[in-house]
Amino acid sequence: MTQYLDKAPDAGRRSRKAADPSAVKVVEVVIVGAGFAGLGSAIQLRKAGITDIAIVERGTEVGGTWRDNQYPGAACDIPSNLYSFSFAQNPAWSRGYSGSREILGYIKGLARDHDLLPLIRFEHNVEALDFDGGEGVWTVTLTGREPIKARSVVMAQGPLSNAGFPNIRGIESFTGKKIHSARWDHSYDFTGKRVAVIGTGASAVQIIPELVKVADKVKVFQRTPGWVLPRLDFQSPEWAKTLFAKLPVSQTAVREAMYWIHESMALGMIWNTPMTRALEMLGNRFREAQVKDAWLRRQLTPDFKIGCKRVLMTNDYYPALQKPNCELISWPIANLSEKGIRSVEGIEHQVDCIVFATGFEVSKNGTPFPVHGLGGRDLNAEWAGGAQAYKSVQVSGYPNLYFTFGPNSGPGHNSALVYMESQIAYIVRSIGKRAAANLKYIDVRADAQKAFNVDIQKRLAKTNWNSGCKSWYLSADGFNSTMFPGFATQFARQMANFRERDYRMV
Amino acid sequence: MQLDTAKMLAKIKNTQWALADIDWDAPGAELVTGDPELYAKLKVFMADLMWIEHVGARAFAAMAKKAPDDTLAEIYRYFHAEEQRHANVEMALMKRWGMLEGDADNPILPEPNINLRLVIDWLDTYSDEMPIEVLGSVIPSLEIALDGALCKFLLDTVQDPVCHAAFEKINEDEARHLGVGFHMLEVMGHGKLHQLLVKAAGNLLNPKLIIGIAAYLPLLNRMRDNLVKLGLKEERLYEAMNKYKRIGGRTEQGRRNPWFQIISHQSAMVVDRKSFYHVPVDALVRLTDFYPRRLLKATPTWVKGLTWKTAA
Ligand SMILES: Cc1cc2nc3c(=O)[nH]c(=O)nc-3n(C[C@H](O)[C@H](O)[C@H](O)COP(=O)(O)OP(=O)(O)OC[C@H]3O[C@@H](n4cnc5c(N)ncnc54)[C@H](O)[C@@H]3O)c2cc1C
Ligand SMILES: [Fe+2]
Ligand SMILES: [Fe+2]
Repeated sequence: MTQYLDKAPDAGRRSRKAADPSAVKVVEVVIVGAGFAGLGSAIQLRKAGITDIAIVERGTEVGGTWRDNQYPGAACDIPSNLYSFSFAQNPAWSRGYSGSREILGYIKGLARDHDLLPLIRFEHNVEALDFDGGEGVWTVTLTGREPIKARSVVMAQGPLSNAGFPNIRGIESFTGKKIHSARWDHSYDFTGKRVAVIGTGASAVQIIPELVKVADKVKVFQRTPGWVLPRLDFQSPEWAKTLFAKLPVSQTAVREAMYWIHESMALGMIWNTPMTRALEMLGNRFREAQVKDAWLRRQLTPDFKIGCKRVLMTNDYYPALQKPNCELISWPIANLSEKGIRSVEGIEHQVDCIVFATGFEVSKNGTPFPVHGLGGRDLNAEWAGGAQAYKSVQVSGYPNLYFTFGPNSGPGHNSALVYMESQIAYIVRSIGKRAAANLKYIDVRADAQKAFNVDIQKRLAKTNWNSGCKSWYLSADGFNSTMFPGFATQFARQMANFRERDYRMV
Repeated sequence: MQLDTAKMLAKIKNTQWALADIDWDAPGAELVTGDPELYAKLKVFMADLMWIEHVGARAFAAMAKKAPDDTLAEIYRYFHAEEQRHANVEMALMKRWGMLEGDADNPILPEPNINLRLVIDWLDTYSDEMPIEVLGSVIPSLEIALDGALCKFLLDTVQDPVCHAAFEKINEDEARHLGVGFHMLEVMGHGKLHQLLVKAAGNLLNPKLIIGIAAYLPLLNRMRDNLVKLGLKEERLYEAMNKYKRIGGRTEQGRRNPWFQIISHQSAMVVDRKSFYHVPVDALVRLTDFYPRRLLKATPTWVKGLTWKTAA
């Protein structure tokens, strides 16, 4: 395989700069992003004795996903007891599935209780990462600020943090209000407005029931209907909150139970098994029970296997669609015009506001910003054919660089935080090893990474995601670099095992 | 001749149009409204035409679920919507000519003839379960014989320039529908001939399909009778039906598709007025006049989506 130089082409100039006594010091760990992953990493690193940490966050607040997604109805579709860190359980969750604001409150609590705020540098937007192999130092380039140098970098910038308006024909000509679900404009009053919602995914099914309550008319533009399953939401009884507070082990037990319920869903969602059919039957029954009209039911019937895309958990989406002031439009959108949306049946649907619940820009084939490793190698270029990593957290040729929600780490059936915790534990261990032995860097061996990927792609081939359905999990040419093909338990086992022989320690 | 479906889809997306692109208030309506005889005939004709768009629409909706790949599925999704657009345009023309009953905001949809109702009923009930070979082979025939031929009649008869402007756009859509339709006809002629035959024979025995055929054959004869009644030449219908055989039979693959053969033969019989075919089928037409309307299913709710308005 190619031998990469230890020094970046311009390393000479850089190291001279680094030798300059007035130069900034090298931070032990820079964490990009102050969402769950960034804060969780900081907490666990500190616990392991690594305290020289800087968290760079482009926003002005912690929270990531839950700071950005404040649209009406925004909530988690994993029970809160499971969608929280096991090392920071919250006995006070008000509901089975908490809303966005409550989760944001929990994250803020994490930052406060673990005294993380002094570590965070807000309004620091990372533009690039460059590694100098000679020094074993990463340069973190920031927009309009002095760069930061770091031994290790944890990329915790979020799998779903970049939202933008989609590239729909004529979008610039629309003169009404445009709102993206992940950048909600709370100053806009929907009362009495005619509203179009584009998209019927996880965010849309939460927004629509709320909009229908206040807007004059809601038109829902659907491209592909998803699987909808009932959600067993409930208000947490007071006795449970008291019990959890007094006896944390009881909450741990509930958390465990929920974990295993979700694990068992993997059987149906990840692979095509009798459980898949059972879940689909449940979905079909639910639709039949909730949707009276045969044609509407047909429009809402998915034509892919359950689990192929994110399953929607909601009880009030179907009823909302059938409210007199709501209409499902499954005609394709031809273009946006000055006053609204023209769909292919030839009609212009005139609206005051368009809500784009069109998802996120997911970098499946690249990195969100340029990352250059040993010898100036470019991660974006290497990932052009599909992102690959070693156990999702590290990439050969990019020493001391760690990913959260890197390639093939995505959960389809269980809490993202369960996956995140085992990634964080692995990262802390690896960073700890480097620090303890005072190594310049540790780098995954290329052959170890290759073997890992051969195995994971073989396992992916057997999953529902790769069964022929299109989803954001797959790249345009059908390569799956997002999902982990197995149980959360298997992922945890993969991450629990640190094989030194898979590394090059320099 | 294989069609590049990805290019076709791109072309479809690039050539979309809306009702608002047509100037519905342009002069010329009097060319229809000023001729009482034409007006009366046209009122019946337009209603049928509008409903016939639905036959195509519903069949495309079924194809979208069966298409062998994502590109074709997306194409059929567009075609489904385009047929709805055609129906909307025809409704807008009726509105222009003062042919819609009821008040302006809630016009009463004209009733389709019983044979159309039976076909739509059947499509709504069974088309989603029909094998792709059957639907894929029937669609081009149906589009040529009904959709295509009727549009042609209309343009021969009506001078209103707005009608011509609208149908210029509709015909461009239809040309693409046919292009894809004949492509599918050929695609389905691939494979071992005996296997294709066995499969076709099996499908022919499917009672649901037999009901569909029993609904479809009298519709053709009914439309022929209606056209004759309107003083139009039935030859135009036959010319259109022959086109199916001519284009569909261009290639080896097309000819190997057993459904192409069945439909071509049936078309040949329809066209031959002396054929024995017409004895039972004309009898069916007369019989269906007595078909109790209460046995029909309620009009499917997708019909409610129709509108003559350019904006909603
Ligand atoms: C609407 C929605 C609902 C969801 N629901 C669930 C659910 O029910 N269950 C579940 O398990 N998961 C869910 N998720 C997935 C969710 O993203 C993860 O569970 C989790 O919140 C990810 O945390 P994170 O810290 O990795 O990323 P984020 O929370 O996205 O945090 C990343 C942070 O990095 C910052 N950042 C990004 N780029 C830069 C940069 N260049 N420079 C500096 N800072 C940067 C961002 O501002 C952000 O604060 C949901 C996601 C969304 C969008
Ligand atoms: Fe048509
Ligand atoms: Fe057509």
